[in-house]
Amino acid sequence: MSSAPVIHALPSPGFGLGLRTSHYADFLEARRAVDWLEIISDNYFGAGGKPVAMLDSIRADYPMVMHGVSLSIGASDGLDHAYLQQLKGLADRVEPLWVSDHLCWTGLAGQNSHDLLPLPYTEEALALVVRHIRQVQDVLGRRFVLENVSSYLSYRSDEMSEWQFLRHVCEEADCLLLLDVNNIYVSSVNHGFDPLAYLHHIPPGRVQQIHLAGHSVHGDHIIDTHDHAVAEPVWALYAAACRHLGAVATMVERDDNIPPIGELLDEVDRARSISTAISNDTAQGTLSP
Amino acid sequence: MKLQQLQQHFLHYLNDAPNSLPDLVTASAGVSVERRLHIYHHAYRARLVEVMQDIFERVWAYLGDDGFADTARAYIGAYPPRGRTLSGFGADFPAWLLTHFSGDGEIADVAKIDWLLRVAFDGADGVALPIRSLSTLAALQPRDWGAVHFRFHPTVTLSSLHTNAAAIWEALNHARPPPPAERLVRSRALVVWRKLFQPHFLTIDDTEAEAIAMLGRGAAFATTCDALAQHYPEMDNALAMAVFLRRWIDDEMLCGYWLSATTGEPSTNPQLSPEAIASPTCTCGQKQFSVPPVRKPDR
Repeated sequence: MSSAPVIHALPSPGFGLGLRTSHYADFLEARRAVDWLEIISDNYFGAGGKPVAMLDSIRADYPMVMHGVSLSIGASDGLDHAYLQQLKGLADRVEPLWVSDHLCWTGLAGQNSHDLLPLPYTEEALALVVRHIRQVQDVLGRRFVLENVSSYLSYRSDEMSEWQFLRHVCEEADCLLLLDVNNIYVSSVNHGFDPLAYLHHIPPGRVQQIHLAGHSVHGDHIIDTHDHAVAEPVWALYAAACRHLGAVATMVERDDNIPPIGELLDEVDRARSISTAISNDTAQGTLSP
Repeated sequence: MKLQQLQQHFLHYLNDAPNSLPDLVTASAGVSVERRLHIYHHAYRARLVEVMQDIFERVWAYLGDDGFADTARAYIGAYPPRGRTLSGFGADFPAWLLTHFSGDGEIADVAKIDWLLRVAFDGADGVALPIRSLSTLAALQPRDWGAVHFRFHPTVTLSSLHTNAAAIWEALNHARPPPPAERLVRSRALVVWRKLFQPHFLTIDDTEAEAIAMLGRGAAFATTCDALAQHYPEMDNALAMAVFLRRWIDDEMLCGYWLSATTGEPSTNPQLSPEAIASPTCTCGQKQFSVPPVRKPDR
């Protein structure tokens, strides 16, 4: 019998949704069946106007988590400290449950691709990412949450798998993980690995949040487009994640072709049902002789 | 290869500069290196073009899908995004359009309007003076007008147009055919600001632009009146200033006023006398007059 995992993550606040501008009115109009909302941090760095006003109004009614896209934790020329201060300022305003960004790099030497570019999984990159996460945690005064990205290429210089890299990062930097189940699936198809092997290598107590999203199939590869409903293979992988990780805060991400909020809330309900059913099964299994 | 070199090769690849990225990447799962790289090459431009479509919506409407995408990609090549966030991306687009397109310059002017509206969208907040402030102002003694200073909303920005871009922008914004482009004999002043959550713009006369510029720099109301009287002797500047003042308050462009000789501090919450609202008057120098109603802003 294996020992229980060491729990580092905060208890799950339940099931959430990514807040998007097209749903501001829905959240102001009535209470919606989500336990928390995730904002894209970078969209609220403006000094004022509608974004900040909506943020403050909706935050009054929902717990929030902050999710960034521009930290560039793997950039070899270091972190952008002005950006980090913006992030800290927003965190002071929002008082989020946690703050996350991606395991990637976005630019170098002043140029920013605004894309989540893949890192080589080398000892050099590992040391750099761990160092940067410690700096981020020092500035923010809280544990950082790191998300795995979808990728479309890997490097000849790789010295380990992505899941080995991710595990080393979170253990050495003592950070937490945002496990994007769709990204695991997308990358597994694009690179030809077993998504369950990836999943089962993730230490359960380190996962603070799960992302679910849709993708686009392009014949022999998949693009992480966030413009469709969550695909069936991703729901199946999510069920496996629930069995492996236990109860983890889960949310649905939609960034394009955004439907009426009801459709997304149905997906949130489906996640809740899957997770609850597996939790109940696990509890019964534990109680059974 | 060190991480920094690898990342440099990647950026050179995205910028179509010489690079060795293909030699650094693994082909697997039956997908070639070239196709893998192309996903990133395409996504980089597609994402930025989409961002520019959102900012420069009227330029997009004017140039059409293909014309705008070609133009935006050329701009991205000339001005790759430098900032950590996208907030400043596109700032150089209006000026760059002047060099990219020969002709009247109306595309650059339409882009300038789009850009300034975007900047105003999430600019700093300000609490607009209520309309009833006019009655308090009207109650000031003539000598006090020499000491009155005004504070504009933080998003108020002056610029200028060299073409009939305002009319073109309006038509495009309502999905109507735009008028033929015309270069103006004299450039036209432009003021952009945000009213609650909605950015607005107006083309204004030089007198009003000068008044906003002077008051914005901290000049007293009477000093501004005197300057306008010198520069535009043919106009009834006191009347013009009263009209401006009324409209700035109506349009939520003003956030405060103060009497430098008395308090020396701005007042955003003046004590007001509602009974005087119906017939506000302003004083400029020794003249006093009623303040007329104003027209609605362009947007």
